Amino acid sequence: MVRVKSRYLLCEINVSDRRDLLKLDDRAVAGSVKAAVARTHGDYGAALCSIRFCVKYLNAHTGIVFLRFHKGFYKLLWSALPFITSIECRGQIIPCFLNCLHVGGTIRTCQKFLIRYNTRQLHQMLPKYKNKVEEKRKIQEAILSCSLTGGGNKALEDELESEEEDDE
Amino acid sequence: MSAAKAKMREKKMRNQPASVQYPSPSHVESRAENGGEGDDVRVTGGQSDAHPSWKRQQTPPVRHGWVRGHHNGDGGYDTEMPNHITAGAFARARAAEVSAMLKAATELTCSSHVFRALPKHMRRRAMSHNTKRLPRRLRNVANRMREKSLQAGLKKKKELVKSKSRKARRRHGNLLLEFNRRQRKNIWLETHIWHAKRFHMVKKWGYCLGVRPTYKCYRPCYRAMSSHCLLQDLSYYCCIELKGEEDKLLAALTQLTCKEAGPTFAAAMFLSGARQGSVTVYRAGQYPSDPLGPVTFLWRPQTPGLTPRQLWIWAHPALKQDLLPELQSVCQCSEAMAPPVEPEVSRAEADPSPQAEPNPDNELKAGAKRKRCCKDAGEPPAKRILGDGTRLPTSPVTWRSSSTGIVINDLTMEIVRYRLIGPQSHSVLAETLEAATVCDELKSSPFWWPEHCKDRSNMKLHQQQTDVFNVLKGIYSSGELPPGTVLGLTVDDPRLTLPRQKVKAAPCVNRDQVGDEEKRNQLMLKGVPLQCCQSFLWEQSVRENVTDNKISEQELNRMRTELLVPGSRLGPGPQQGRVPVLLVHQPGKQVGDELGSWGSGWDLLLPKGWGMAFWVPLVYRGVRVAGLHMSLKHSQDKAAPHFPHDYPDCPAGSRFQEEQEAEFLETFRRRPPAKRTNYIKHGCLAPFRCPWQQLAEEWELLATDGGAERKGDGQTQKARKSHEVMEEVTSQQTVAAASPPSFTVLRNRKSLRLLSSWCRPLTCRGQRRGRGAAVALPLSDSAVTSFHSAHKMSVVWVRLTLLSKGKPEAHAMVCAPTAEDLKLFGKSPENCGPQEPPHKDHYKSRINHKKKSSKTATPSQVSDDPTASTDPHSPSDLILGLWPDPLPSVTSHCSRVTLGWVTQGDFSLSVGRGEALGFVSVSGLLHTLLRQPPELRGTLLLRNPTSLHYRFVRLNIDV
Repeated sequence: MVRVKSRYLLCEINVSDRRDLLKLDDRAVAGSVKAAVARTHGDYGAALCSIRFCVKYLNAHTGIVFLRFHKGFYKLLWSALPFITSIECRGQIIPCFLNCLHVGGTIRTCQKFLIRYNTRQLHQMLPKYKNKVEEKRKIQEAILSCSLTGGGNKALEDELESEEEDDE
Repeated sequence: MSAAKAKMREKKMRNQPASVQYPSPSHVESRAENGGEGDDVRVTGGQSDAHPSWKRQQTPPVRHGWVRGHHNGDGGYDTEMPNHITAGAFARARAAEVSAMLKAATELTCSSHVFRALPKHMRRRAMSHNTKRLPRRLRNVANRMREKSLQAGLKKKKELVKSKSRKARRRHGNLLLEFNRRQRKNIWLETHIWHAKRFHMVKKWGYCLGVRPTYKCYRPCYRAMSSHCLLQDLSYYCCIELKGEEDKLLAALTQLTCKEAGPTFAAAMFLSGARQGSVTVYRAGQYPSDPLGPVTFLWRPQTPGLTPRQLWIWAHPALKQDLLPELQSVCQCSEAMAPPVEPEVSRAEADPSPQAEPNPDNELKAGAKRKRCCKDAGEPPAKRILGDGTRLPTSPVTWRSSSTGIVINDLTMEIVRYRLIGPQSHSVLAETLEAATVCDELKSSPFWWPEHCKDRSNMKLHQQQTDVFNVLKGIYSSGELPPGTVLGLTVDDPRLTLPRQKVKAAPCVNRDQVGDEEKRNQLMLKGVPLQCCQSFLWEQSVRENVTDNKISEQELNRMRTELLVPGSRLGPGPQQGRVPVLLVHQPGKQVGDELGSWGSGWDLLLPKGWGMAFWVPLVYRGVRVAGLHMSLKHSQDKAAPHFPHDYPDCPAGSRFQEEQEAEFLETFRRRPPAKRTNYIKHGCLAPFRCPWQQLAEEWELLATDGGAERKGDGQTQKARKSHEVMEEVTSQQTVAAASPPSFTVLRNRKSLRLLSSWCRPLTCRGQRRGRGAAVALPLSDSAVTSFHSAHKMSVVWVRLTLLSKGKPEAHAMVCAPTAEDLKLFGKSPENCGPQEPPHKDHYKSRINHKKKSSKTATPSQVSDDPTASTDPHSPSDLILGLWPDPLPSVTSHCSRVTLGWVTQGDFSLSVGRGEALGFVSVSGLLHTLLRQPPELRGTLLLRNPTSLHYRFVRLNIDV
């Protein structure tokens, strides 16, 4: 098809102290990626990084980030990501590294991958957890709330109803 | 970004998850909702509740569409961070993210139908219509969507649906009610419905008027005008009736006119009532400035028993609002009389008000019941509005003066006026109208005619009028009669003699009787005898009687069915109406040497209510019907100024000019800037209007200033000089700012005749051609000076004939040729004419510059710009291709000196060349004429606003 093609990188930000994760914001992440690319690839890399580069999504609770690169040179930019060792955010330097989980052609495939990845993690987490009954129940609830079955149609109907309300 | 685009974007991004970040204080509104994220973020209940910012997060998030901008703000951050995390929180964060992603990944991002989610190879034709073509999993949703869309359609339709069925709406009474309602705002002529089916209608001057037919008929209309007959409904012209003593009326009216501009109200020919006159009316005692506009007027012939005279003044509706107060003031008629309580008038006007709003109860009920209700109530059937429907029934139409005894009566829409233009219009009239048959019943009847028949003198008059009318049939062309002749007549109902098919009225050719020949000559030389100009149309009571006793079309058809021999003609019985009419001869082209009496015709004046009864029979005689557009062309071919287009000095004319300018500017601005004509480059200062005032002022200054150096040798020098002068003018204007006298249009007949003779070229023998030879004063410096001093600040109406090809347009410039141009022209008269060098558009760069700077720089930087500070025009005022106000000197802007502008120009079918009509400055014209060689006098240049090419024209001033 005729369109501008991109690559979406689904990355996980790993920090030593999980509380630092909450301080992140998308602008800081973008800045650090740009700085890293400039450091490793020089002006050429910095220029490439200014074309269609964008942080599409950042979840400060889970540390998941979507990065969009131009398809033509995403590999070059990707190669700079391991050199990120810290992100400066809100006046603090947070030591961290980026772990790329998935590379997708559309944001949708990344989302689908993320669903699978998260559910798998939750499922793995449940048997390991042995401390508190209440906490365990919460995890179970969480797993149930995001189960794939029956999600689609119900959501669609919800949407229809909301649309109807809009029209009134 | 437009609102619709933003909405689309919002719809598209609705399901997409937004970033989940710890909010900074100013960041709250940009945090988008994210599928129950609010719950999720409350990691450890009690603890987080302590923090205000967490609480703020729970407030319903403000939807901000796609704007997810970042706001700086990182104060007081550390204190609000949670200290520890738990596994539950960890899991919940993951779970929330999954559900958000789920929503984003599974749901449709686009706003449209379900089957857009299907891959292409699974889509089927007509899937939206038949949901069974969809896969089963999507069927339910598609069904629901379809139902919804159907309901939405119904809902919309419900609003549109009228409460009544079409049949009910089209029923005659209801249709009339609807028509009456629509006539509240703009007056409909009696022929409105006929016109509305065939014409482009326009709302103008408070009327609904036809502009031009929907079919192509420009040339056929012209042919009809020049060889057969063209019909127009001029009922929108306003008639104002003045009644009073003759000397008092004349004393009042002479203030409005001046003898210098032609015969006035008091001219003996018009005063007798034998001729219709036309005159330009000025504000009281203001001649030659402050004109109001042209009117035609008709005196009622004097009857022996009746001392007060009656005068009808016909004025254009745009003029009426100025004329009526002026008339009231000169006649001192300030007492408004309550509208008469006669049943006829008041009913016609007051009726619609209760009828127009039908009873709401009736409205709501079902059709059958509504019908019965109406019958039970026994309401009178809706009556058609005759006359002025927009006027309130209580507003006064009559004003009386206690001191002079003059009564002014506003007869707007009381009299129907049809205009027939063309040499055969008399034969059309002769075929359509038949003089009323006499009925000799002895018993009294409610109709006016049998009563009148009892009077011997009336019958004698009727006989005379009939004779004249019969003689009229025999003349060759309508132009042969003396202009303005009036003939009163009483005719039968023309519907009785309606032909079964459309026929073309042919001139009557049998000229066998010798006596007729003599009578015809008498008629052509002397006009209609005075006593025959009398008509009962002047009597209000007769008019009302005729209007009320008109037989309806339905009744007439019923009578036709009862005829013994089907298809035979209905005889005129006593109950059929006899209609008093007035036939007024309309002179054609009276000025100029060529095409004398072209476009002459007759006006037919009828009492109101009879409009359609005469219209259809006239149309059945093969006339063409035309609208406003053709009347403009008619006056253009007659070389007569058309009101209000060509009266820039009248209030109505200046209003019209403003409207026209706004209209032209609107169409001009609708074009993309790159496709517009750049009038600056064409050297055209005012393409959409004519700044007459400025022109007159500049020429005034040039003439007074240039008097000293009359001996100056050339136009080029003059142009240069005028440049300097103009600088002076502008400086003077800024200093003094006193309002100079406004320009006037030269209407003094004597001066016009003199000027006209000066404009004609001398033949080789040094003789002047044409009629003005005897009176002419030779063109000399002294004569010009005296003429000029008499007519300062005036412009004159001229006709310009192109000498080569070319089609002049409105607002074209009339320029004076230079000596070299004339030399070239003298060598070969077929020479096309000089070219104007293209001008430079200084404003273009400024506009571009402004655009750029406004894009890149902040406003403060723009104001620092040196050009911006000196430039009086802000970029928003500048339109690409148009000069901004105030205009520079209009006379010397181009390489040839501008004398005036064209107000109407077109290819004239009657001359076979381009012809233009317009005004030129008198001072400028005299100045130019003095410098031209005598054999080429009156040769000027004309340039269209969209062209750089000058064309040679011959100037004529027709008197």
